[in-house]
Amino acid sequence: MTATEPVVEPWGPTPDGLDGPYWDGLRVDELRLQRCNECSTWIWGPQAICGHCHSFDLGWETVEPSGTVYSWNRSWYPYMDEYADRLPYVTVLVELPQADGRRVLGILADDVETNPEIGDRVVGVFEHSEGAPWPLLRWRRAATAEGEKG
Amino acid sequence: MSANIMRGAAAVVGVAEQHYKRGEAPHSEKRMTLEVILQACADAGISPREIDGFVSYAGGANDGAIVGGALLIDELRWSNMMWGGGGGSVAAAITNAATAIATGQADCVVVYRAMSQADTGRLGYAKYHYGSHFLAHGIGSPAQICAMRTQRMLEHGGVPRTAMRSLVLASYQHAQSNPTAQGYGRPLDEEAYENSRLIAEPFHLFDCSRESDGAVALVLVSAERAKTLRSDPAYLLAGAQGAPGGYSELIDNDLGEQYMSAGFGPANNGKPGVAERLWSAAGLGPDDVDVVQVYENFSGPAVAALIDHGLCPPGEAAGTFMTVENLTAPNGKLPLNTSGGNLADSFINGLNLAVEAVRQIRGTSTNPVDGAKTSLFIGGPMAPLVSSVLFGHEETL
Repeated sequence: MTATEPVVEPWGPTPDGLDGPYWDGLRVDELRLQRCNECSTWIWGPQAICGHCHSFDLGWETVEPSGTVYSWNRSWYPYMDEYADRLPYVTVLVELPQADGRRVLGILADDVETNPEIGDRVVGVFEHSEGAPWPLLRWRRAATAEGEKG
Repeated sequence: MSANIMRGAAAVVGVAEQHYKRGEAPHSEKRMTLEVILQACADAGISPREIDGFVSYAGGANDGAIVGGALLIDELRWSNMMWGGGGGSVAAAITNAATAIATGQADCVVVYRAMSQADTGRLGYAKYHYGSHFLAHGIGSPAQICAMRTQRMLEHGGVPRTAMRSLVLASYQHAQSNPTAQGYGRPLDEEAYENSRLIAEPFHLFDCSRESDGAVALVLVSAERAKTLRSDPAYLLAGAQGAPGGYSELIDNDLGEQYMSAGFGPANNGKPGVAERLWSAAGLGPDDVDVVQVYENFSGPAVAALIDHGLCPPGEAAGTFMTVENLTAPNGKLPLNTSGGNLADSFINGLNLAVEAVRQIRGTSTNPVDGAKTSLFIGGPMAPLVSSVLFGHEETL
């Protein structure tokens, strides 16, 4: 599969290793988020402790990659070298109702011309690019993904 | 202990600033720091050897021991750096200096910040600003984060984009009276604003601050000492800092509607946040503010900061209130960024705005607000830690 642009390096696990299961999940087409084994609170971004009950006993659960646009941004300025010839693109902050509303960031993989609207339904796509060290989770408008014109 | 022990305990008695186009500073950050400290001491009428405290914030290599050593001060008693980038702790640095004075830890404290691209690159960021969960999704700069938060403020919060535009146009209008402003002689109108290129939607070019090389210093002493030095000290009536727990640091998972705020709102337990604590400690409220300098790395967060402080109504009404007429000196309801601000004057990580806040108390701004007795300085909206400080004329004590 070809990469959805832009692909911005570096990506992959953070040096503290807390988010390893997230990246491992992408390899098998699963969105995994952190969840407290004590009180079941969903946690994102990855933490060493549950902020709710202060347990260090944290696990990971697989979440259906679908949600709604919480906010969005279309970038035009080449803040990084990797962006320079790949502008513009849209990044969405996606709210996941099935994970108690935790939000994850992602590039909108389709149609950068039409403005997303807050509340739009989006679905995740696991992108395995040739030669890339890690897969990436991209997002598509639900209507587009279902084959309709969105 | 009441926050009110701070009220009026310390005052700014000396200020200095210098700025250059980015990359064009003639000297290092250290040399510029020393220059503005000497100038601020001359402005205050004190000897630099009397300085016994130094406070900066958000990075910088020259701590109090280094600067104090170079100046051969009599003794170093206070040397602090406030955590928090994005200008969030800029007002907190001033509060920190006043705290040292109010508690007897130091007598004469300088707050300073220097930036030179040659020394520390753009804003001192060597490479991208965010971790892999942002970078992998095309987000590497504060502009993009602030743009997304602003987008929700507009689309979900109902704030019209004209509120941002008015703030920008007011800043440029003020810059036309300030010969040292980088936007001086370059007036901006609605059409030019709207037609300027997009940077990170909803931000156009003019919604984004310019970065400058340069340095700023403010000298603080006790209220008693201040009275002997000059007739127009800017007394610190109150300062507050912080943020609701988790604000900005959890990959954009701030609780509830904190995401589209500037971070000055209530704590997670409903107790007062930065803005309410500021008003409470000052014994004043938003209606008592004569003039505001609000940190605008980008226009949207500045509007959010005004809303958080109760200076501007939320939602649709923000558009009615935020007009160029209301925001400009001398007669606007809420004159703001009267030197041109970060957008149209200069950007030394926002500390230059504090100097203008002091000038308004002295009546020496190039856009003076007649009889201004209270002057508010709001630092770094939408940064992980935010802060604000309220200055007052002697009559407000």
